[in-house]
Amino acid sequence: MTGEVRAEETIRTGSRRGRRAAIALVAPAVLIVAGVYAYPAITTVAYSLSAIDLSPRFRIVRFVGLDNFINQLGSGAFWEATWTTLYFGLMLCLVTVVLSFAIALLLNKTFLGRGLVRVTVLLPWAVPPVASGVLWVQMFHAEFGFLNGLIRAFGGEGDIIWLGGQGIALHSVLIAEVWRWIPFATIFLLAGLQIVPRTVKEAAAIDGAGSWRTLRHITLPLMLPVVIPVVIFLFVWAMKVFDTIFVLTRGGPSRATTTLNFLVYRQGFEQFDFGSAAATAYLLSALTVLAIAGLGWMLARARRLAGA
Amino acid sequence: MTGMAASPGRLIRRVAVYVGAAVVMVVMAFPLYGIILTSTQTERDIRSTDVAFVPTYITTEHYSQIFSNTSGVPVAESMVNSLAVAVTTAVVTVAIAVPAAYALNRMRVPGRRLILGGFAAIYVLPTLLFVMPLFITVVQLGLYDTYIGLVLPYVAFTLPFMVWIMGSFVRAIPVSVEEMAVIDGAGLAQLILRIVLPLLRPGIFAGLLLGFVLAWIEFLTPLLFTSNLSMMTVTLGLFRSTMDIEIGQLAAATVMTALPVILITAFFQRNITEVITAGVER
Repeated sequence: MTGEVRAEETIRTGSRRGRRAAIALVAPAVLIVAGVYAYPAITTVAYSLSAIDLSPRFRIVRFVGLDNFINQLGSGAFWEATWTTLYFGLMLCLVTVVLSFAIALLLNKTFLGRGLVRVTVLLPWAVPPVASGVLWVQMFHAEFGFLNGLIRAFGGEGDIIWLGGQGIALHSVLIAEVWRWIPFATIFLLAGLQIVPRTVKEAAAIDGAGSWRTLRHITLPLMLPVVIPVVIFLFVWAMKVFDTIFVLTRGGPSRATTTLNFLVYRQGFEQFDFGSAAATAYLLSALTVLAIAGLGWMLARARRLAGA
Repeated sequence: MTGMAASPGRLIRRVAVYVGAAVVMVVMAFPLYGIILTSTQTERDIRSTDVAFVPTYITTEHYSQIFSNTSGVPVAESMVNSLAVAVTTAVVTVAIAVPAAYALNRMRVPGRRLILGGFAAIYVLPTLLFVMPLFITVVQLGLYDTYIGLVLPYVAFTLPFMVWIMGSFVRAIPVSVEEMAVIDGAGLAQLILRIVLPLLRPGIFAGLLLGFVLAWIEFLTPLLFTSNLSMMTVTLGLFRSTMDIEIGQLAAATVMTALPVILITAFFQRNITEVITAGVER
């Protein structure tokens, strides 16, 4: 009996000793995270409200109120980057989810060599982002790249300037990023497909529904609660894409592939204008949070519909 | 009757599945195949507009070049740097994450929800938002171009995710096992050291691999927090080098950078799939 009382004390209750021990166990993690995230996050607020000098050494010159934010909201470069970011984010979600869904449907069937296909689909995930960037530079190279080579092999001109054209550069970055995120999305969706009860599909088949109609009316609606989290993950990652853009285009040609995140980098570490960079970083955060809130609302609705 | 009527349609469907599988395989593997192919061809053939998709020969010259001292890219040195930093990061992160994950899942921690919520929220915000003041701090503390200047941000960037992953392993331990130990008179320290840690061994192993991989592939931190060639990491090496001049060497260095991560992933693909599946089911 006394043993059980002690068990209650040490593992579960908020007795003073257990509580102190719990705090001691959590403290290092919380302190490090606070030091490396919370403190900088607050400091960045201060930056965003200040004029800052970086040379000869870092110095906050003066408080400028909301000037940095107002300047950003009034600048063409900011809005250009905002539209680029939103377009890139939505396209990344759309293309990745559609392709991954198709691959997941395929992998959900039994066939010879399925394991091999699954490993191959997983592989791009294992390529470090920078390495993936280098690899796509090689694919996209205008003169001796593999894509143009492939086009020539099939009798085309094969002279597309994948990374240098105003309109096409962003889409080239998109291709590279979609390739990198298909593994995650496919595995996630495949896991979801395996949860859709087989009995429901069998019942639909008995009722005379063809495979397309089963997909359209049974599988897709039931999958919605799984698709939306994937979209949220992908969107957040799209907002933070850095390595691929840095290696492939450095935000160019001109500003064609400068997303908001890359604009923060350019303002902060190319122009050394920490005030503007901080303001842009917070505007990007606001945009991300808004988008997630919207998607979260859709998720809640989808869950309710799927449950009903 | 239905069986006979269905068989041509079924055949077509079977063929479609295999064609689909082949297309998926080729498209997903093609870029990887391309970089490996590039790394094994002579510079002259790489730069030919007449791209050969099937090699007629294989050369390892680029690999021996990047590991020789004459190379403009200190690949061997940067691999040692990355190895040191990644191993340190993995060990430190797991050592801090495991106790925190245990306490957050099995004990009453004041502000538990706030801590877990904060850890998740961090990943929504752009990393650069945190990096700017960190950059100033690192410079002011004299940690620019040092191992500590890299390990510290790596540990912090990995920690919230690690606490979350370790938490799922902690929750998998049956509470009854722990209660039994407590009934037998084990204190908290004994409970953690003798019961929880041994049961967590697979989780700790997974965490070490994860920490290693995340540190190995990190790019932004070394890009901004180092400039000395002797501090270069593998990912940075792919960038700051003579690579524009020697594409074959760049390809070989890329393969060497990706190789450890690819091996780990291929080896543990089933476990990775399981972790994601568990996430979906919840």
